[in-house]
Amino acid sequence: MRKFLLPLLFIFFFILESIFVQSLPAEMFNSERILVPRFLMIAIIFLTLYGNRNHGLIYALVFGLLFDVVYTEIIGIYLFLFPLIAYLTSKVMRLLQANIVVISVVSLLGVALLELCVYELTFLINKTDMVFSMFVDLRWLPTLILNLAFIIIFAYPLKRHFEKYALSLKEE
Amino acid sequence: MPQFFLNKRLIFLLVSIIILVALIGFSLREREELTVPEQFLKDATGWIQNVFAKPQGYVTDFFENVKDLQNTYSENKELKSRLDKLAKLEADVQQLEKENKELREILGEKESLRDYDPIQATVIGRNPDRWHEIIIINKGEVNGIEQNMAVVSSNGYLIGKVKSTQQFTATIQLLSAMDPTNRISAEIKGNDEYFGTIEGYDVDRELLKLKRIPYDAKIEKEQKVVTSGLGGIFPQNLSIGEVVDVEPDEFGLNQTAYVKPGANFYNIRNVMVVKRVMDQPNLSEMVDDEEEEL
Repeated sequence: MRKFLLPLLFIFFFILESIFVQSLPAEMFNSERILVPRFLMIAIIFLTLYGNRNHGLIYALVFGLLFDVVYTEIIGIYLFLFPLIAYLTSKVMRLLQANIVVISVVSLLGVALLELCVYELTFLINKTDMVFSMFVDLRWLPTLILNLAFIIIFAYPLKRHFEKYALSLKEE
Repeated sequence: MPQFFLNKRLIFLLVSIIILVALIGFSLREREELTVPEQFLKDATGWIQNVFAKPQGYVTDFFENVKDLQNTYSENKELKSRLDKLAKLEADVQQLEKENKELREILGEKESLRDYDPIQATVIGRNPDRWHEIIIINKGEVNGIEQNMAVVSSNGYLIGKVKSTQQFTATIQLLSAMDPTNRISAEIKGNDEYFGTIEGYDVDRELLKLKRIPYDAKIEKEQKVVTSGLGGIFPQNLSIGEVVDVEPDEFGLNQTAYVKPGANFYNIRNVMVVKRVMDQPNLSEMVDDEEEEL
């Protein structure tokens, strides 16, 4: 049972993103700002940093592919970016002190980088004509605020869960 | 630093960038249908999303009901004033419909571009990153849904088209998506009828662009815009929205009208996929370049 807990948790976050976007009140959307939930990315970064790095990268790869196939129908963007950002954060954390505040800030930076890269790639393949300043105002900052709120609420439970997971891996 | 460049990690990174470009190129191609593994993945996640969609529906419905209760009084007042007109309108419509049917019979015309079969469906997912405006519904090929069919919201306005289908789920691209190949042949209703094509969406102003209207067309604000059915796949007379603004285009040869879509692109719960009754012309015979009109 414990073995299935982690995949189930990630599948839940995967579905939660879509549910969140779908059921957020319309007025919040009509005010032009776009809030993008990046719960999956945050969970992956926490798994990479608190749990096991290699497992984190594998989850990043699998769910990146799933995200591409199910939600965007353009394969490659998230498949590439999820593992890359998980890897970068694990590199950065080698230089920094590993406490929960620092890790929260790093994961927020990871989300910021992800959002920026996705914008650049979408712009490159001509799926959007949003200019950069508009992107920052309408998408980047609101998205960061939303995800900061998510991190503040879920950082501690995620940390505890993944630390337990790392421990159970060591015991085996 | 030089050590970094000899690193096998860098080679790994470069190889993955090449794979990335190849994969994006592969999926950006105009695809008739998705590959089998993709379809399988989408159906599998669709099944899980279905499980979540029900309770989610109840929760959002509850909050919406509470909100509705708040302005019941003012709404009731307005609706009562409209009710008187409705009775007369209904009688008129009935008579007109009957007359229309009789006239059609005299002409010997049985099918019209306007007839369609609706397929009800529930939305079970939406793309969270919102660069690609995509929603997923719980009906698929087994229910008779095919690519490029029109999709209508519960209040009767056009919201998009079917982008791809799987066995049990289908993906819908909303009108607000930016896709240069997403064109819809539309008609502006009024004393004179003008035709154009819906091409693109102005994210800033949240308006659809109706291009290629003749330069001498006289268009006023608040004129209704509907599908013309001339594109070959969509039925005629599905409402799209109303004109807000008209501008001459960059070379002055045509005009562009900005259309306020009647459908809300957020909070979509139930949709109708529309299957045209009249035969579809064979597109491959008609279209000689890659872009196709819907």
